[in-house]
Amino acid sequence: MTTNGGAMFTKTLYDNRRIFTVWALATGLLALMYAAFYPQVSADAMASVPESMSGFGLDDTSTAAGYLQGPVFGLLVPLLATFYGAATGARTISADEESGYLDLLLAHPIGRARLLLQRFAALAAGALLIGGAVLAAMLAVRDGADLGSVGAGGFAAQTLNLTLLALLFGALATGLGAATGLTRATVFGVTAGLGVAVFALNGFAPQIGAGGLRYLTPFHYYIGGEPLKNGVQVADAAVLAAASAVLIAAGTWRFVRRDLGR
Amino acid sequence: MHTAIELTELTKSYGSRRGLDGLSLQVRAGEVFGYLGPNGAGKSTTIRLLLDLIRPTSGSARVLGLDPRADAARLHRRTGYLAGDFVVDGRRRAGECLAFLARLRGGVPAHRITGLAARLDVDLDARIKSLSKGNRQKVGLIQAFMHEPELLILDEPTSGLDPLVQQTFLDMVGEARDNGQTVFMSSHILSEVEAVTDRVAIIREGALVALDTVDALRARSSLRVRVTFAAPVPAGEFAALPGVQHVSADGDTLTCTVDGSPDALVKAAAQYTVTGLHADTQDLEELFQAYYTGPRAA
Ligand SMILES: Nc1ncnc2c1ncn2[C@@H]1O[C@H](COP(=O)(O)OP(=O)(O)O)[C@@H](O)[C@H]1O
Ligand SMILES: [Mg+2]
Repeated sequence: MTTNGGAMFTKTLYDNRRIFTVWALATGLLALMYAAFYPQVSADAMASVPESMSGFGLDDTSTAAGYLQGPVFGLLVPLLATFYGAATGARTISADEESGYLDLLLAHPIGRARLLLQRFAALAAGALLIGGAVLAAMLAVRDGADLGSVGAGGFAAQTLNLTLLALLFGALATGLGAATGLTRATVFGVTAGLGVAVFALNGFAPQIGAGGLRYLTPFHYYIGGEPLKNGVQVADAAVLAAASAVLIAAGTWRFVRRDLGR
Repeated sequence: MHTAIELTELTKSYGSRRGLDGLSLQVRAGEVFGYLGPNGAGKSTTIRLLLDLIRPTSGSARVLGLDPRADAARLHRRTGYLAGDFVVDGRRRAGECLAFLARLRGGVPAHRITGLAARLDVDLDARIKSLSKGNRQKVGLIQAFMHEPELLILDEPTSGLDPLVQQTFLDMVGEARDNGQTVFMSSHILSEVEAVTDRVAIIREGALVALDTVDALRARSSLRVRVTFAAPVPAGEFAALPGVQHVSADGDTLTCTVDGSPDALVKAAAQYTVTGLHADTQDLEELFQAYYTGPRAA
């Protein structure tokens, strides 16, 4: 019997080849630019960061790792990864369900779960590309920008978590669309909004005396273990990966049971 | 296998809205079956249930002997589907879309696609979004027919097609039947599908109101009679006759419809002086409208 193998995966990847490349290049370049500022910033000693913002890690500029955990890996790159996940995840199911194209696809011999998983695999490939681009950017700028105190292993560990973070928000948007049939704009808005909100919660929680709340946010698992200094934090990475798996499983469970909308 | 589709008390509600209301019917393997009804009757609902895009509230459907849900992938391999409003990825070229859909089916000979495209005059290099509604519909026809499925499920396939292409489409349906394929196609216009259908079902408000061959439906159509008399006649006397309906008297002219034999009407009229008589059969489209708008038959 003939099968379609990974046709949906390769097609999704092919259709997204440009947009995924743009995401990876843009994220990598921005990371590179901000990282390259380090020599100037460390000379200026950024005393201007308000006390209330200390939870975002913007105040420690005395070490390369401390600086990178601030504007680069603490703010810019994770938010971009969040938006990548939200935008791409909202296209896994929602966009095509909204247009009606999903009706056609699912009238073909590809199960609903399979369609979802193959498309999510393409999203994961895009997330890997982003992580890879950021890693390459860091290794490229490392010596020129006095970042030599962070090892390649530290960068690899942090970009691994970055990929897992993108994957997590991708899983949230995918799962939300799959479970509910909400429109693409709504799925993107809810996911991105939630991402920004928990990002802020992670940053402000220590100041409002609710440090424990950090454990509920993915950003804690993404950067709380300071992988730039400490290398791969297996437990943290596992939490991120497991959360993605749960979201995808729950979304799929509901998706194969519900009516497709029109 | 002699039954391609079997619906048993199939019911679908969308919340409190009725989609389909206890519909039972059978489509024989190898026939071209017309599924007719006005907009909102439940045609697309039925078709989406057959393809497992939505699930029944109660009742069941068997398609090619399979359960649409449990055997979805196996069933979809053996069916071709054209949606009521066919949508594909608009940014791609028509040929690219079709090649991908063929890959989802595990491959379709390329000549099938190019052959159908030539026949329907579709430019495979055109981007979908640059195509007119009619040309997009043709791409939809190609993807439904290209793998020569055992069962074609077509939701309003003729909509948006110009008359010439409509004829090509009807030829394709006829060839599919000759080829042993079963065709289940919906429409809200009888005359568009009449020429190729073996049997038609008429549904209304989610329920079946008639199921028969087009010829039998035509035979069932009633006679419209207009009689002029030398003097006014009592209309009530005629209304009571067997098979006579819609009686109205206007001065010395009496009009009515007659189902079955006009014998009783002729004998009753003969008691008076008849100065004129006119009778013709209702045309099929009118009969069809009567099913749409008349009292719901049991
Ligand atoms: N997704 C839906 N949600 C709510 N009502 C629906 C939905 N789909 C169809 N309906 C309703 O079900 C009825 C039958 O619709 P449909 O099957 O599309 O009719 P047709 O294809 O014969 O025009 C209509 O009253 C329609 O409004
Ligand atoms: Mg319809």
